[in-house]
Amino acid sequence: MQIDREQAGSDVVLKVSGRLDTPNAKPFEASLMEAISSTDGGITVDLAGVDYVSSSGLRALLVAGKAMRTAKRDLALRSLQPQIREVFDISGFSTLFEIK
Amino acid sequence: MTSSPPSPRLSSLTIAADVDEISRVSAWLEELGEQEDWAQQMLFGLELSVEEALANVITHGFENTCHDPEIVLEYFRPAPEAIGIRIIDNGVAFDPTAQASPQLAENVEEARIGGHGLRFMRHYLSDFGYARVGDRNELTLIAGPKAATDGAASP
Repeated sequence: MQIDREQAGSDVVLKVSGRLDTPNAKPFEASLMEAISSTDGGITVDLAGVDYVSSSGLRALLVAGKAMRTAKRDLALRSLQPQIREVFDISGFSTLFEIK
Repeated sequence: MTSSPPSPRLSSLTIAADVDEISRVSAWLEELGEQEDWAQQMLFGLELSVEEALANVITHGFENTCHDPEIVLEYFRPAPEAIGIRIIDNGVAFDPTAQASPQLAENVEEARIGGHGLRFMRHYLSDFGYARVGDRNELTLIAGPKAATDGAASP
C-alpha cells in the first residue's frame, strides 16, 4: 500500500494505491487520522489505485468519517474501481460517504 | 441426496494466528489462481471471503484459550467450475453461518464498526458451510455457480 498526500489550501487529497486489507488497515487509519489532525479543511481519499478492500479497510474509513463528522468537516471518496465500488455498495458505505 | 466422497485436497497452507499472515494467504490464493486461470471476479470474492473468515478466527478464535493455535487452509475443487477453501482451526467453537448480517446503517453517526465480513461472504460465495469436527472448526467456502455447488459445503 502507498499513500501520497497533496495539499490544496486547507484541503487534503490522499491518493491511495494497493490493498486496503487487514494487514494494511492500521497504517491506513493512521494516515487518515494524521491528515485530519494536521489540517482543518476537507479531505478527499482518491482510491483509483486501490484494487482490493476488505472490511478492515472500510473500518479505517469509517473511523475517519466519524471523526470528520464530529469536527463538521467533509470527507469524500473518489475514483473507485468497479469491484471496489461493489464492495462499498454491498456494505452500504456508498450511502455513508460522498463519492465523487 | 446421496452423499459423495469428499473432494481431495489439492494444496494446503498452515499459518500462525497473526493478522499479518493474511498477506501470505492472499499470495497463496493469487498463485493458485494464476496457475489454474481462475476468473478475476471469482478470485476477488474468494480472497475477500477467506480474509474476512480468517480475520475473525485470528482475532477472536483463541481468546481465553491456553493451547497453541493451529490454522490450516485447504484448497479443493468441489466441482469442475467451482473453487473450495476449507479453513480448519482449533479455536473456540463458532459457527459464522448461523449469524445474521447486521442491518445497514443510514449515516456515518449510526454506522457500526464491523460486521460486514458475513455480508461479503454471503454475497460472493456460492456455498458456505460449517462443521465442528472433534476440537476443530471447519469452515468451507465455495466460489462458483450456485447451481453447481448447491450443498457442496454441507458436512
